[in-house]
Amino acid sequence: MNSALVRRSMVGLVGVGLAIAFGPLRLAGDYTQFIVASLAVAFIAVLSVNLLAGLCGIWSLGHSAYVAIGAYMAANLTPMGMPVELIALLAMLCAGLVGFILGLSAGRFSVLYFGLLTMALALVATEVIGRWTAVTGGDDGKKVAHAISLFSAGPIASSNAVVICVLLATLVYLIADVVQTSQFGRRWLAVKGQRIASMSIGLEPHVENARAFGLSAALASLSGVGMAYAISFIDPVAFSLDTSITMIVGTVVGGIGSAPGALLGAAFITAVPELARDARGVADFVYGGAVVVVLLWLRQGIVPAVHAKLREIRGRKRNALGAQRQAVDAAGISALVTRLLPAAKHTLSLKNVSLHFSGLKALDGVSFDLPAGQAVGLIGPNGAGKTSLLNVLSGFYQPQKETSVSLGLVDVLAVSPSGRAAIGMGRTFQHAELFPELTIREMLVTAAGLARPLRLRHQITLNDPEQVADLILEGLALQSYRDAFPAELPFGVQKVADIGRVLAIGASVVSMDEPFSGMDEHECAELRAILRGMRAAGVSILIIDHAVQEVLDICDQVVVLDFGRLLALGTPDAIRSNAAVRKAYFGSMQLQGDMQHG
Amino acid sequence: MSDLPAVIISGLVSGSTYALLALGIVIIFRSTDTVNFAIGDIGTMSVFTAGTLISMGLPVVAALAAAIVVAGLAGIVTERLLIRPLGHGRHTLFVALVITIGLGLLIHAGIFLIWGTRPRPFPVLLTGSVTVLGIVLPWNKILAAGIAMSAMAVVAWFFKATPFGIAMRATADDPGAARMIGINAGRVSAIAWFVGCGMAAIATFFLAAESSLNPNLTLSAVFRAFAGVFLGGLTSMSGAVIGGFVIGILDNVAGRYISASFRDTIVFATIVLVLFIRPSGVLGAGRKERV
Repeated sequence: MNSALVRRSMVGLVGVGLAIAFGPLRLAGDYTQFIVASLAVAFIAVLSVNLLAGLCGIWSLGHSAYVAIGAYMAANLTPMGMPVELIALLAMLCAGLVGFILGLSAGRFSVLYFGLLTMALALVATEVIGRWTAVTGGDDGKKVAHAISLFSAGPIASSNAVVICVLLATLVYLIADVVQTSQFGRRWLAVKGQRIASMSIGLEPHVENARAFGLSAALASLSGVGMAYAISFIDPVAFSLDTSITMIVGTVVGGIGSAPGALLGAAFITAVPELARDARGVADFVYGGAVVVVLLWLRQGIVPAVHAKLREIRGRKRNALGAQRQAVDAAGISALVTRLLPAAKHTLSLKNVSLHFSGLKALDGVSFDLPAGQAVGLIGPNGAGKTSLLNVLSGFYQPQKETSVSLGLVDVLAVSPSGRAAIGMGRTFQHAELFPELTIREMLVTAAGLARPLRLRHQITLNDPEQVADLILEGLALQSYRDAFPAELPFGVQKVADIGRVLAIGASVVSMDEPFSGMDEHECAELRAILRGMRAAGVSILIIDHAVQEVLDICDQVVVLDFGRLLALGTPDAIRSNAAVRKAYFGSMQLQGDMQHG
Repeated sequence: MSDLPAVIISGLVSGSTYALLALGIVIIFRSTDTVNFAIGDIGTMSVFTAGTLISMGLPVVAALAAAIVVAGLAGIVTERLLIRPLGHGRHTLFVALVITIGLGLLIHAGIFLIWGTRPRPFPVLLTGSVTVLGIVLPWNKILAAGIAMSAMAVVAWFFKATPFGIAMRATADDPGAARMIGINAGRVSAIAWFVGCGMAAIATFFLAAESSLNPNLTLSAVFRAFAGVFLGGLTSMSGAVIGGFVIGILDNVAGRYISASFRDTIVFATIVLVLFIRPSGVLGAGRKERV
């Protein structure tokens, strides 16, 4: 945290220093001033695109439209005597609102649709600018009056507008930096990395995408404000689709999701046209070539590629330390879980659960209860409908009409997938599905942050996200991995971290998709302790697994599915001796013996 | 409103161009998960080549065939050199999209360099016009629509009835399984890019005849094609075609009855509105998420 504060202060100081040096002190000639102003304006634009690509994986081809909003607001509001500070604020609000609405519209789709919709936005902006002459001056362009500032006695001449540009760029950097390391930044990375898993912790992907899009649009508008004053004349060509594409070029070349990368990219797109001013078409060649070359060989862009190399070297050191994990025990887990979340109070009741995929009956009238604080196992051969049932519980599949699922008085099916975390339902995933761009601790803090209202509602005093995360790390013996990314962890540890995530969201009714698959002997023992501890603390658990022995050992009740239908339901002992189960599930295997010694 | 039928007919005619481009976009997307933003530039480049061939004395019909081949080959080369090396995976989607933007810039710059910036006239295949329900339709436009629809019919037949077309659909549905049963994925991708870019060449060829040969020829048509894809869904071939026609009609109706100077805006606003009311798209835009 401290290092972030130091970094921000440094950047702030450098920004103000540069503004003073180029402005009042006039340490550089006119041309240098102009170049610095252009660089600052380009930096704002590229950083806004860069932020969106980095945090959400959304590529916007329409950011020139937001730049235009800023520029035309500056051009029209300055003559009315409005100071630049207020104009900047209004431009951000205006562009941010447009961005948010567009984001809501496209956000429910695959992120690819953003690319198409934003390209359309750029073309529409061109059309509107060309026709709405009262505001834009049409194709002839519009003159911009000298800026007025709350902090300056007289109007600021365009030769001094570099001060405005540099200060705006500094401001945008600081906003981007703060957002990136905030809850919001992490949520967006979670949605970007694992849309499905992010819904299971209570995030609504399309809303998160829309928020990020709104913020990015708001920042981009500041580029327009700076540009208007720096050039003091607005040429509509500056807001064409080509400009949006240039911003993408700057983002790709510098590097995605990196402020220094955005600076490098901005320098690139400022320098190339300056250097190739006399040779038409050359700039496009360099741009196109640079994008292709960077994407083919450096994938993430120049700055992150260097960064990743550095991290790899550091990571090798960490792994060399040898992260030996401590053992976890059921009593410790139980104590931890009791502090973290409310005990389950209600029975999860499934009635008549049916799910058809165009004729195929994946589930056919399955009914059973998961009583509060009990563990129910769900077993059955491949294709029995186990995972389908779990996806109905998580809200990812819509079951047939006759289905009813209730948790106490709550009709679960009426709650959206993202809303199920808030009613205390959580799940784990067969392949862990951790968020690839969040460290283990960041993931836990994010999940715990989302669960804060739930904890407050249940009068759980331990609700500070950081504190919750640290306790989970300690309780699950994950401390040595706290700052590691999922890809750096062994698979077994990833699955333990996935359980950590479900504890962080405070779920007291947890469904687990094949928790034992892919775990070694030691990890299975650990998992058993975790599950026992959770149940002892009053968590209702539904376990789906192929490890029949494990399920029969842990659960109070076992449900057997076969071809989507309920084959048997009973205590583990009853299931062990159920002839129908043995026939359907285990075939002719001599099961009794296997089970007793297995 | 008495001229509504005429407006719709003319919308259908221009819609055929959008449908053709939209179909090309979808075919390429289904085979290689790539939204090809360079499709318009590839088409434009091929038609500039055709223009040069015509000025060297090649008949216009032969030049059309040449344009298709040039665009198709450019598509194959693009897929082989730029898309395939990216490999597969979720994030490849965006990388592939952006790399085609880069390619578009390169081709655009190349056209400037080779052919200059001045628009050139481009010949039509058929001269004269016919009056339908009070509006004048040039024969060349009708021919363009006819060829576009025939091309779409051929593609539909190819994917429905030929073993290779069926193999290509199988690959789009499940690349892993398709490879397992011995379908050559490389050849499927190559053919998809050839067909997709070839269709763009046909669309561009007639766009050039309508106005003139210039480097920004396809900009507005590609925008409308993408709008059509939006309505129909990125993975549905029939959806893209219908979407393209719908956009053509919408564009014409809006231009006639609402405002001729805000056509792009109206088309765009309609899409945003539709997405708000029906997030799954008019024709059920595919949402491919795996649980």
